[in-house]
Amino acid sequence: MLGLILRRLVQMALIMVVASFILFVIFDTPAFKKKIAIAELGGFAVSALSEEDYQNWLEQKGLNVPFFQRYANWIGNITTGDFGKSFEKNTAVGPLLLDRLKNTGILAFWVFALMIPISLVLGVLAGMKEGSAQDRTISFISVFTTSIPEIATAIILTVIFALGLGWLPAKSAMTQGFDWRQLVLPVLTLVTYDFGYVARMTRASMAEVMTSQYIRTAVLKGIPYRQVIMKHALRNALIAPFTVIVLQLNWLLSGVVVVEVFFQYDGFGKLLLEAALFGDVYVVQAATLVAVIVAVLSQIISDIGYTLLNPRIRFS
Amino acid sequence: MAKSDQPKQHRYIPQLVQQLEQRKIDRRAFLRNVTLLGMSSAAAYGLAGRILGENLVDPALAQEGTPKMGGILKVAMDIQKMEDPATYSWTQMSNQTRHVAEYLTITGPDNLTRPLLAESWEASDDLKTWTFKLRQGVLWHNGEELTAEHVVWNIERWLDPALASSNASLSTCSAMVEGTDQKTMIKGAVEAVDKHTVRFNLSKPVLSVPEDLYNYPAAILHPSFKPPFSDNPMGTGPYTLTEMVVGDKCILKRVTETTDGKPFKYWGGDVYLDEIHYYNFDTDNQLTAFASGEVDTIYQFSIEQYELAAGLEGEIQEIQTAQTACFRMHVAKPPFDNLKVRQAIAKAVDLTVFNDLVFQGRGQTGENHHVAPVHPEYFALPPLARDVEAAKALLTEAGHADGLEITIDIGNTDGPWHQTAAEIMRDQLQEAGIKLNINVIPASKYWEIWTETPFGATAWTHRALGTMVLSLAYRTGVAWNETGYSNPEFEKALDAAEAVLDVEQRKAKMELVEKILQDDAIMLLPLWRPVFTIVSPKVKGHQIHPTQYHQWTKVWLEEA
Repeated sequence: MLGLILRRLVQMALIMVVASFILFVIFDTPAFKKKIAIAELGGFAVSALSEEDYQNWLEQKGLNVPFFQRYANWIGNITTGDFGKSFEKNTAVGPLLLDRLKNTGILAFWVFALMIPISLVLGVLAGMKEGSAQDRTISFISVFTTSIPEIATAIILTVIFALGLGWLPAKSAMTQGFDWRQLVLPVLTLVTYDFGYVARMTRASMAEVMTSQYIRTAVLKGIPYRQVIMKHALRNALIAPFTVIVLQLNWLLSGVVVVEVFFQYDGFGKLLLEAALFGDVYVVQAATLVAVIVAVLSQIISDIGYTLLNPRIRFS
Repeated sequence: MAKSDQPKQHRYIPQLVQQLEQRKIDRRAFLRNVTLLGMSSAAAYGLAGRILGENLVDPALAQEGTPKMGGILKVAMDIQKMEDPATYSWTQMSNQTRHVAEYLTITGPDNLTRPLLAESWEASDDLKTWTFKLRQGVLWHNGEELTAEHVVWNIERWLDPALASSNASLSTCSAMVEGTDQKTMIKGAVEAVDKHTVRFNLSKPVLSVPEDLYNYPAAILHPSFKPPFSDNPMGTGPYTLTEMVVGDKCILKRVTETTDGKPFKYWGGDVYLDEIHYYNFDTDNQLTAFASGEVDTIYQFSIEQYELAAGLEGEIQEIQTAQTACFRMHVAKPPFDNLKVRQAIAKAVDLTVFNDLVFQGRGQTGENHHVAPVHPEYFALPPLARDVEAAKALLTEAGHADGLEITIDIGNTDGPWHQTAAEIMRDQLQEAGIKLNINVIPASKYWEIWTETPFGATAWTHRALGTMVLSLAYRTGVAWNETGYSNPEFEKALDAAEAVLDVEQRKAKMELVEKILQDDAIMLLPLWRPVFTIVSPKVKGHQIHPTQYHQWTKVWLEEA
């Protein structure tokens, strides 16, 4: 197990080096430097600059340093905890990223806190009696909610609960500090979109387990049905959904851009989008590294969880 | 024509009075010209009122009820970096700074330019020498008094090519430089005559000096300024910056004492709001933030959101502007290097439909020249008629009898309406045998190619005078000449118009200027767009500005 974790961590370091190098190459092109100039000074001002003025501007921003030197400096600074400075936001990238990760963490916590129990309970209830009315109803709701894109769910919920009934704020910018009411709509949107997917996976896994020989034997032996489900079926049925749930971490980190931007929630996804649009290279770089770390760590957690849930599984 | 003490009057003012008395000019033209010549807006409104027998009050002085002190005005807007006010590239940045650092002049929502840090100004008869008298007793936040030297420092700084300030492209600044690259400042072009007098000695007549000095990157900074402004927010304004996080919030608080702890008295009298809080919401989300009650007003909402806005509790404020999208053709790039091709394109498009289809009839129809009906010198040319047969004939003459395929780059730099307008053009051009491909690209990408693309749609903001944008965009070799246009006849006509103060005479001269641009068919200019905002009923004294500038020193809250 230790070997597995170490191997994964080495892989992670390699991915980080390769990803950051590729991004640096892309962002070092003259086109991207021009993009930063335009974002900073505006298209009208940049077109009025002479080549010499433009070169001076590049020097001011430290963008005319040769590529390898800039990359080496960046790597060196990271080891001291300095992730560089955001061009757009004029602030150190490290604290900015931490703040946004904290916000996304709060969002993810509540999404998981609601989504996991709902989807597991519904998935198990549906899978227990495959083909029953209960199964069909749950399956229909799961497919229906998952097939509506997050942006549509966000709009529908906003129109009903914020603009229509006026129960909740329409936006989640937290302008006056943290306000749990502003978290409700983004959490609901994400849960609505995601629970169906996990519930469907749980249902499929549960249904498969329920048709296995040992469950049939247990039932025929006269063990109470409740006990069969809780003691024998559930543990095996949870292996597949567990992986899916852990992988939702990646999705919640960078895949919820639409929801964060729609609700103006200052999370990691919104930061990444803004940085990419601005050409804010150091923010994109740091965010990418975090995304890689989370992706690899979630995989490690998933692997460990696998072996705990099913001792027959061994990674070598 | 100083306003406070009225020492002497520009020799043209009595003529304007006479013209108004004889109803040869309208009230707006009168106000614009006498204020341009240095009369205070209050005196100008009073004089116009006496002549016309109406009770006219300067809107800048008009008050809605009895103002209450205190309260926080909350505003939704994009919160952007505040690096150097002289290099700002977005109006939003300047709004964040506008109540901290001030300008020599101020152009109001009525499109009239009034004195601000300057108390008065005088123009020579040839419009080449402009003398600005500074207000006395204006204090910086550090307690120092504003002097002419400070102003000169700012203007010299704008002209430093290394700074890359877009102020350098203003007509006023371009009349202060020389050399082959036109970037070396002429010695003595701006001088501090005494402690409170600044003089501009320009190389050519410039009509728009007061308007230019309210260009949004023209805020007057203290000579100790070091960027970023967000770390050194010193100005002469009634507010200072207390918290600033890009993409999050910008908090302004009323200044009560100088940085060395002495009481600070703002020169402009009572300012009612304790604080102004800007919160970051992008354009699409500002209206919903208002609907949720999170903010009291917003930077803007789009035409697509008008219906939603109409259903909310708040006052929609709307104003006609000279903001537009110029669907311009580059005259040096084929096939647009052929005049007949450009004319065929112009003939095939019916400009009258765009305002209704794109802006629900709330804007104004364009006329393929860059002067708007809101400009004082706008001359109404005969309406352009669509003529598909004539377009086809022109295409045949240009050697495209079998039709023509062209592509337009659309960056939607002012919202998706650019694309909608291009789609209407595509349908209309098709009937004349012209196939228009629409290449939609990100806004940032468009700004990389905006002066180079053969055919593209560029957003141009509102400017107080029609001649201002013509000088910036259509004179030979100027930085923002995105069409590659060069026509000595046009420039001669524009020079003639720019040297005339009499608005009626200038209007007459603009006929030729506009006609040349129209005949040369370098652009399709489908409409002039209005701008919209919404304001909570508790906010008093708020007026929308055609350039979306926030001028809130006299705004107050009913429930302060």
